[in-house]
Amino acid sequence: MAGFLERITERLNIYREPGWYKKFDHKWTMVIDLDKCNGCGACVLACYAENNIPVVGKEDCDKSRAFSWLRIERYVEGEYPDVKVKFIPVMCQHCGKAPCETGCPVYATYHNQDGLNVQVYNRCVGTFTCATYCPYDVRRFNWRTYKFEQPLDNQLNPDVTVREMGVMEKCTFCIQRIRVAKDKAKDEGREVQDGEIQPACVQSCPTGAMTFGDLQDPSSKVAKLAKSPRRYRLLEELNTDPSVIYLKRVMNDGAGTHEE
Amino acid sequence: MKRRDFLKILGVGGVGTGLGYFFGKASKPPAAELIPYLNPPVDVIPGVANWYPSLCTQCSAGCGIHVRVMEGRAKKIEGNPLHPINKGKLCARGQASLQALYNPDRIKKPLKRRGNRGKGDFEEITWEEGISILSKNLISLSEKGEADQLYLLTSQIRGSLNNLLNSFMVSYGSPNYLQYELFQNKNLLHASQVTMGVNAIPHYDIANTKYLLSFGADFSSTWVSPVSYSYAYGQMRQGEDGIRGKLVQIEPRLSLTGANADEWVPAKPGTEGVLALAIAYAIVEDGYYKGPDAASWKALLSGYSPKDAAVVTEVAEGRIREIAKEFGQTRPSLAIGGENLARYENGMSGLVAVNILNHLAGNIGVRGGVIPNSNGSRTIDFKNNIAALAEAASASKVKTLLVYDTNPVFTTPKAMKTEESLRNIPFIASFSSFMDETTAMADLILPAHTSLEDWGDDFADPSVGYPVATLMQPAVSPFFNTMGIGDIILSLAKGVGGKVKDKMQWNGFSDYLKDAWKENYSKDKDMLASALTFDEFWNQLLTRGGWWPDEKAKVKAVSVSPKGIEAHISKVSSRFEGDEKGFPLYLTTYAHSSHLDGRGANLPWLQEMPDPMTSVVWGNWIEVNPTTASSLGIKEGETVTVESPFGKINAHVYLYPGIRPDTVSMPIGQGHRAYGRYAKDTGSNPIEILPFKEDPETREIALNSTRVRISRTTASEKMVKIEGSTKELGRNIVQTISPEEFKRMNKEVS
Repeated sequence: MAGFLERITERLNIYREPGWYKKFDHKWTMVIDLDKCNGCGACVLACYAENNIPVVGKEDCDKSRAFSWLRIERYVEGEYPDVKVKFIPVMCQHCGKAPCETGCPVYATYHNQDGLNVQVYNRCVGTFTCATYCPYDVRRFNWRTYKFEQPLDNQLNPDVTVREMGVMEKCTFCIQRIRVAKDKAKDEGREVQDGEIQPACVQSCPTGAMTFGDLQDPSSKVAKLAKSPRRYRLLEELNTDPSVIYLKRVMNDGAGTHEE
Repeated sequence: MKRRDFLKILGVGGVGTGLGYFFGKASKPPAAELIPYLNPPVDVIPGVANWYPSLCTQCSAGCGIHVRVMEGRAKKIEGNPLHPINKGKLCARGQASLQALYNPDRIKKPLKRRGNRGKGDFEEITWEEGISILSKNLISLSEKGEADQLYLLTSQIRGSLNNLLNSFMVSYGSPNYLQYELFQNKNLLHASQVTMGVNAIPHYDIANTKYLLSFGADFSSTWVSPVSYSYAYGQMRQGEDGIRGKLVQIEPRLSLTGANADEWVPAKPGTEGVLALAIAYAIVEDGYYKGPDAASWKALLSGYSPKDAAVVTEVAEGRIREIAKEFGQTRPSLAIGGENLARYENGMSGLVAVNILNHLAGNIGVRGGVIPNSNGSRTIDFKNNIAALAEAASASKVKTLLVYDTNPVFTTPKAMKTEESLRNIPFIASFSSFMDETTAMADLILPAHTSLEDWGDDFADPSVGYPVATLMQPAVSPFFNTMGIGDIILSLAKGVGGKVKDKMQWNGFSDYLKDAWKENYSKDKDMLASALTFDEFWNQLLTRGGWWPDEKAKVKAVSVSPKGIEAHISKVSSRFEGDEKGFPLYLTTYAHSSHLDGRGANLPWLQEMPDPMTSVVWGNWIEVNPTTASSLGIKEGETVTVESPFGKINAHVYLYPGIRPDTVSMPIGQGHRAYGRYAKDTGSNPIEILPFKEDPETREIALNSTRVRISRTTASEKMVKIEGSTKELGRNIVQTISPEEFKRMNKEVS
């Protein structure tokens, strides 16, 4: 038992060191340019289609059980006619120092060798601890086993498992696509190229606001965008070290003043 | 019970179960089902996906798609990266069309009406029976000399299918091939003809513009070609050159595009055209227009001074001059006119004014401005199509009606009495794959394929400055017992016989399509220049997903002169039905961003996707300004009756600060009475209370032309929205920097 605990603390300590992710193979990162995002929601639907996310219906939506792994938050500030609207797509931030990982009693959520925050559905016993710890409210719980009405189940993506009641789930950065690209690169005896992996949301985004890639590769698009002076990360003050980097929206909203 | 007895029972039961299993298996040899792919088709490798390029038919933009197919089933739809319209991107509606293919409410077989019409009592028949019933009907019609009383009503179909339907109707002897589309761009085309003399909707080069002045064009969600323009919007904001384009939105209700704008100008509904002319006046008066005919423009625009316009439009004179200055000085700038301008009774006039603005600022035929398209656009005359049908039907001059891919019972104002007039038609046949409101009235239903199972093609309109043709090919084999619409028409031609059969000798629509492309190929010198034989060319079409020149657009200049324009612009603001006292609020309607004119309402993904502006799911709402609501004593989520002079409906109130206090707004798309389990009885349909009015010049339906009153009523269902608070509450979630800081920052970097 003591050895097990030691291994866990050792692993957790790795993340506390600066530049810890250099020990990993990749550091998958998403950059979202909020100045490009127009809030249309194509990414939300792409995520539903790719990841076999169930439709829960009106009643369960009312109980805050809508299943979207990726949501677009909209904020409306001010009164008519000085109304300012802002959009932000929020999905699992794949935190380097993820609060959810520390809580799980069965090690269902852990950090993989790519620096991704992954969820093992078979291990999950549904304690809800991770969702409670998550400051971004991106974890979704299967309150029941949702059915895909026939023949809609023909559309289910065979690369992604379907989940059942009692299991917590969340955005995976489309790990199935990462796996395919890595396997292909390995078969061809090369590194994964920049732009080869596109999660469903990034692929669909009509305005091109989202970019995905490896932060460890200095020539990658995300590495360049991550140096933008507009960069920030969501609730950075919590020190969760998210892998999603946002670029600030350019607008006159009386920046700096955030009362209300 | 003793332990031994228990074991005995268990043993006997076990043997019985085993025997049962054995006999069950023995009675039907399972081998055929166990290994279905002993000899798999060439393109099926388990676990490996095939991607088929095709065409998206969810709206009229004409985007190219890639369909991911695994083991014979379509799994996902993505944009075609080679396609010049959507450049690999795809909107939510396009991606959701997968759920049309596998929809549990699809009509799976041909149906014949059994009970009373409209009661939904149908019996299943075979395709042979179905085609023969319809052929017999058509034969008897033509024998009686009433061939011209056959009507065919479709959506705005372009390309080869349109030609096929047309030649079927012509050879049968009926001139009544009609089309109907609630949201189309008739006014836009007409304005382009009047001002620029070009018979095509132009391409707006939003990507390269630096100042975009949008008159109610919601290009982020539904206007004309949303994916194409959204991509361009991203380029405009944060493009290669590092100069950020500015967006100013003029509309009474903040749309999704307006929400992203830098400035919002809530002009009074119906006066946007006047505002455009006032801006034009200011451009000429303040000397930003350098052309030699400045004096004649000024003469034309006299009477639209910003001072007078300020009173009418409720936009301050200073603001008008400011916009004129920025628009006239920023190079290149671009003005576009969208739904909220085009759907008034004088919508055409407003769009002409927008074109004048573009001319005065020198934006026509330049990069980052208006780029004229060469291909001829075709739009539908409202009055000569659906209105003519309703009129003829109520006069009992329609004997047989064929309907495909359109649902006029749902998408026409109640004041038009479409449903009542359709009841007068003795025989209605629908080719719809879904039991929508119009199909429910049919006597015969011959369900057509969905777009993922069928052949077809499309010529994008508006295109992107050069012609773009997209090919639609079956990504999967038919899932139910349905037939392609082209094949239905061809077998119908065979059934009818005589002249019709002689004219249409193709074995199937795929042959017809290939022949049509042979003709395109031999005629078009650009295609011939590709140095491919036709078969090579055809294969390339199938693998690329269509044809477009590799060479990009040559921008040509178009001249605009003040001569003759006067007749097309109007000094007055648009008229609204209902007197101001009885009906104090303007009603503006808009296409729901996921359901469009209601066609997407049967797809569960689209129902559950939160609306971008309100986050409402599974229903619709009416947007009311909080001050208006509090003066009426109405709270968020309450149900109100929305009453126009033409009828009333119920709706849930959504308090929205982004709307003028004298205006309320409702999305079109929900409120189906039929159309499957997901669409039925979800929300209400605002089309019902709209007047039956049109732009007198273009005969385009004017949706935004009535006032309403709202009053509280007892709650029916609950409005469900996903969001909690609309405020950031100091959490600093969406961080911003000012445009000035951004400019300074960019200089530092470079």
